[in-house]
Amino acid sequence: MIRAGLTQLGAAALPFVLALAIGAIVLAATGHDPLSVYALMASEAFGGTRRIAATLTATTPLLLTGLATAVAFRSGVFNVGVEGCFYLGGLAAATLGFWLVGWPAIAIIPVALLAGALIGGAWMVAPAALKVRLGVDEVVTTLMLNFIAINLTSWLVNGPLLARGSANSATPAIEKAAELPRLLPPSTLHLGFIISLALVILYGFWDRFTVAGFRSRLIGLNARFCRAVGIDVPSLVFRMMILSGLIGGLAGAIHALGLVHRFVAGFSPGYGFTGIAVALLGRNSALGMILAALVFGALASSGATIQLFSDVPIEIVEVLQGTVMIFAVAKLGLLLRDRRRLA
Amino acid sequence: MIDPLIHAALLMTTPILLAAIGGLVNRVGGIVNIGLESMMLTGALVAVIVSADTGSVMLALLAALVAGGIVGLLMSLVVTRLAANEIIVGLGFSVTVAGLVRFLLKSVYGVSGTFNPPGVVMLPRIDIPFVADIPILGTILSGQDPLTWFAWAMVPVTTFVLARTRLGLRLRAAGSAETTARALGLDPLAIRDASTVFAGAMSGLAGAHLSIGVVGLFNEGITGGRGFIALAAFYFGRNRPWRTALGALLFGFFEALQIRLQGRGVPAELVQMLPYLIVILVLTGLGLANRRRSGSSS
Repeated sequence: MIRAGLTQLGAAALPFVLALAIGAIVLAATGHDPLSVYALMASEAFGGTRRIAATLTATTPLLLTGLATAVAFRSGVFNVGVEGCFYLGGLAAATLGFWLVGWPAIAIIPVALLAGALIGGAWMVAPAALKVRLGVDEVVTTLMLNFIAINLTSWLVNGPLLARGSANSATPAIEKAAELPRLLPPSTLHLGFIISLALVILYGFWDRFTVAGFRSRLIGLNARFCRAVGIDVPSLVFRMMILSGLIGGLAGAIHALGLVHRFVAGFSPGYGFTGIAVALLGRNSALGMILAALVFGALASSGATIQLFSDVPIEIVEVLQGTVMIFAVAKLGLLLRDRRRLA
Repeated sequence: MIDPLIHAALLMTTPILLAAIGGLVNRVGGIVNIGLESMMLTGALVAVIVSADTGSVMLALLAALVAGGIVGLLMSLVVTRLAANEIIVGLGFSVTVAGLVRFLLKSVYGVSGTFNPPGVVMLPRIDIPFVADIPILGTILSGQDPLTWFAWAMVPVTTFVLARTRLGLRLRAAGSAETTARALGLDPLAIRDASTVFAGAMSGLAGAHLSIGVVGLFNEGITGGRGFIALAAFYFGRNRPWRTALGALLFGFFEALQIRLQGRGVPAELVQMLPYLIVILVLTGLGLANRRRSGSSS
C-alpha cells in the first residue's frame, strides 16, 4: 500500500523532475548556474511567511482553473476553454465591482462572484451543445472561443468599459467593498485562496464519496458502459462542461476581486492553460491538484522575484511550466520498457 | 484602392497558408498539430539570426525550415513514442517555445520584446515586367516574394501527392487505418513523425516569411496567433488543400481589412475575432450537415 503510494507519487513527480532537468540545461547553456538558480527560486517561494503568502496568492487562480479543467476531463471532455471563461468571469466581476456603488460587501461580493461564474458557464453552452447535439470536436471550439473571449474583453476595456482618463486598457478600480478581504496583510493573500481551497476539497469528497461524482467519472472511463446501464451520457457531459465553465468564470471573478481589483488587458498570463497542466499533473484528484497548483504557484511567485535578484530572465518559469505540461501527458514508462526490450 | 488591399491580403495569407498546408498533411497523417505556433515562432527567430549573420536569404530560409522541422520532430516523438495527448503536448510546446525564445533573447542578446540585429536581408520581390502594369492581375502576380509563390504552388502539389501518389496513400493509411497500414508492413508512427516534421518545416518557413518577408526584424509577438489561425484554416478546409487555401485567403483578407479599417474607427479586436468565429460556424454547419445525412440514411 505504501509502496504503491510512493510509486504513484514518483510517477506524478517525474514530469516535474524532467522539466527541472531541461530547465537546468537551458540555464547552463546560457551561462547560469542551475543549482544556485533553483536554490534561489526555492527560497523565494517558501523562505518565510511573506514568501509563502505570495506563493499561496499565486496558487489561488490555479486551484480553480485546474479544478475547472478536471471536472470536464474526468468526464472525457477536453475543455481547453477555461482561459476564455477566466477572462469573461474576471471582466464581469470587475464591472459589477465598480458599478454597484454603495453596496455593502456582504451583497456586492457574492453578486459579483456569481455573475463571473454564470458568464463562464454561459460561455460553455455553445461548445457543450455543439458537442452533445452535433458531435462537433470541443477541443477546436473551446480553443477558438478563448481567442474570441480575449479579443472581446480587450475591446470592451479599450472602449465601452475603459476607465475615464486612463490611457491603458483597464476598467476603473472596483469599490473598496467589493475587494476580497486580505488574510495576512501586508501580503496580497486574500479570501479567494480559502474559497478555492474549499472548493477543491469539496470536489474531492464529491469525487470519492458520492454517486454523482462516481457516475460522472465513469463516463470518462467507459461511456459505452454508461449508456448500457441507462445513464443519460449526453446530458451529463453537457452539465459537466457547463460546470467547468462556471468554475472557470468564478476563478476569473476571484482573481479580479481578490488581487487585481479591476480588469486589465492581458488579465490572465495563461492561468487557463496552466490549469490544464495542474489537472493533468494532479490526475484530477483533489490532493494531487492542490500539490500541483502549489508547484506552479511557487514557480510563478519565485519567477517574479528571481529577476530582481539575479540576471536570470523570468521566462525560465514559462519554459518549466510548458515542459511539465508536455511530460505530464507523456507515458514515460514507455521509455523504460523500450530500453529493456532493446537490452 | 483595391490593389493595395489585395496585395496586403496576399501578403498576410502566405504564412497562414504555409503553416496550414503543413498542418493539413500532419492531420491527414493522424496528428492534429496545435503546436504550429511554436514552430512558426522558432522559424521567425532563426531566419532573422541567420539572415543577419550570413546575409543570405537562402541560408536563412533553410535554417528556418530545419529549425521548424526539429521542433516538429520533438513534438511528434512525444506524441507517437510516448503516447502523449497531442492537444496538450501542442499547447505545452506553444508555452515552452514562447518562453524559451524570450529567455534566449534576454539571456543571449540582452533584448526584450523586439530583436532587430543589423544587416537583416529581406526576401526579394519578384517583379514581372508588363504584367505588373495590369490592374489587379498585376498586383496578384507581380511583386510577390518567393515564399508566396512557393505557398501557392504547394496547394496543387499537396492535392496531387495526397490523392495520386503512393506516399499520399501511405500517409492517409497511417492517419485513418492504422491497423491496415501495419498489416501492409508500414510503420504508421514513422510516417506520422515524418508528417509532423513536414508541418514543422512549413511552419518554420511561415515564421521566416513574417520576420524576413514582412518586417525585417523579430518580435516576440510576431506570430500573433497565426499558428492557431492556420489550424482554423485546415479545419475550415476539412483536409482539402484548395479549400484550406481558401480558408487561409479568407483569414489573410480579414487581417488586411482589419489593418485598413483600424484607421476608420472599427475596433481591431472585433475584426480579429472573426476568423475564430468563422471556424465555429463552419464546424456547426458541418455538424448539421452530418446529422441530416445520417438522419436520412438511417
